[in-house]
Amino acid sequence: MKVGFFIGCNIAFNRPDLEQAVRYAFPALGVELDDLEGQSCCPTWGTMPSIDPVGWYAVGARNFAIAEEKGVEMITVCSTCYGSLAKTTHKLQTHRETRNRVNRLLKSIGKEYRGTSRIRHAVYYLYDEIGPEKIKALIKHGLERLSVAVQPGCLSLWPSEIHPEKEADIFHPKILQELCELLGASAPPYSRFLDCCGMGGMRSTDMEKSFKLVERKLVAMKKELNPDLIVTGCSSCLIQFDTAQEFLQNKGKINFAIPVLHYVQLLAVCLGAEPQQVAGLARTPVLHVLNKIREG
Amino acid sequence: MLKSAETFEIINLSKSEAGFAEEIKKMGGERILECIQCGKCAATCPLALAGFSFFNKRVIHAILNGLKEVLLNDISIWACQSCNRCTETCPRRVDPFEIMMAMRRVAVRKYALPATAIKGIKSLYDVGHAVYLSEAGEPRKKLGLPEKPPTTVADPEALAEVQAILRKTSLATLGIIPMGEFGIFGI
Repeated sequence: MKVGFFIGCNIAFNRPDLEQAVRYAFPALGVELDDLEGQSCCPTWGTMPSIDPVGWYAVGARNFAIAEEKGVEMITVCSTCYGSLAKTTHKLQTHRETRNRVNRLLKSIGKEYRGTSRIRHAVYYLYDEIGPEKIKALIKHGLERLSVAVQPGCLSLWPSEIHPEKEADIFHPKILQELCELLGASAPPYSRFLDCCGMGGMRSTDMEKSFKLVERKLVAMKKELNPDLIVTGCSSCLIQFDTAQEFLQNKGKINFAIPVLHYVQLLAVCLGAEPQQVAGLARTPVLHVLNKIREG
Repeated sequence: MLKSAETFEIINLSKSEAGFAEEIKKMGGERILECIQCGKCAATCPLALAGFSFFNKRVIHAILNGLKEVLLNDISIWACQSCNRCTETCPRRVDPFEIMMAMRRVAVRKYALPATAIKGIKSLYDVGHAVYLSEAGEPRKKLGLPEKPPTTVADPEALAEVQAILRKTSLATLGIIPMGEFGIFGI
């Protein structure tokens, strides 16, 4: 099995330890990664989508064209990349005129969007393509006695209409929870499960309001679950939960710290990766939990 | 230029702009006239939860009332998370997400966009990534990764392709960012 690794900005530059986790976990599960050399930004919402839709789809379509030339699908661990590229696919496959305009732009750089590749979210890829049984069989370190608070992230869920891979009940997502449980952890429900983390446009526009959302969610997790870890399927949620806690502590808003991981980081450690390599850039300390997992 | 809408206590409808909804339709908010203001979108919106003045339902309401200046003077649309809860839940298939984007496209053409957005756009043009940290090379190397990821930052020809596309979009005519042919590899 081979798949293109769509890296995305935040992973490449903010959390390359997550990039390293992807590069460890997928080959360990028998999936070869293609680098899709020359890939760019998805592009994200505050850029071309906010200016010129055809420009948005053209930058996205160029990324697809790279994957198509190599005959692979793409995976991402960033839900923004997933959302932007999924919307691009949907538009180009349902709107002939837009597709023609995009292909005229691509022709000028010697590329073409043919619609033979697609973007897949790592969480769904693990669940649908690799499957719980295979993952379970390859686990070296289990998470017995560990409790996690699950944070699915918005854009892997909605709008469900455009996603071929989705949850059975779109406002009661279960897949990430199941993926945590198959590693041996308990992943109980909590009241603010579906709340937004506050990252993205909100954080760059008004940090105070953004941190109000993440604080409310953190407090619910702590009070209701007191978890060992927060586990998310989205790199933006990862960055928000990981970096906001230090700030909220300094402001006297919270008096606790819950380690935060992207699911693929946790999976990589369970598959045998060195914690420092795949989660070494966390701001909220996490290595003590991961080292304990390795010790069994 | 961008300030909180809380300063507008009275909204003067006689100053509303006719044709504003049509403009939004042209900019991508095609189904805005289907909105019945039921509020399902607002009930799921992180902007409403966080206390922003103009979340999806109120943005649509303001557009339908022609209140362009009010929206141009408010920052809320730029805080939209693009989470698509509203689009998922809308019973009239209005696609409020697209309306938020359409409103941004209108705002950009009036240069009513925050500096953080300009920074991301400039970065997309200069290096091919909206988020870019030039100091990321060292931590990448320590993790055993190449200093540059295998993207446009490591490939001048690939970056030139992205720039060539962007120069053929309306970004080029807006003049928000300098768009030379050099980027990080030039000069």
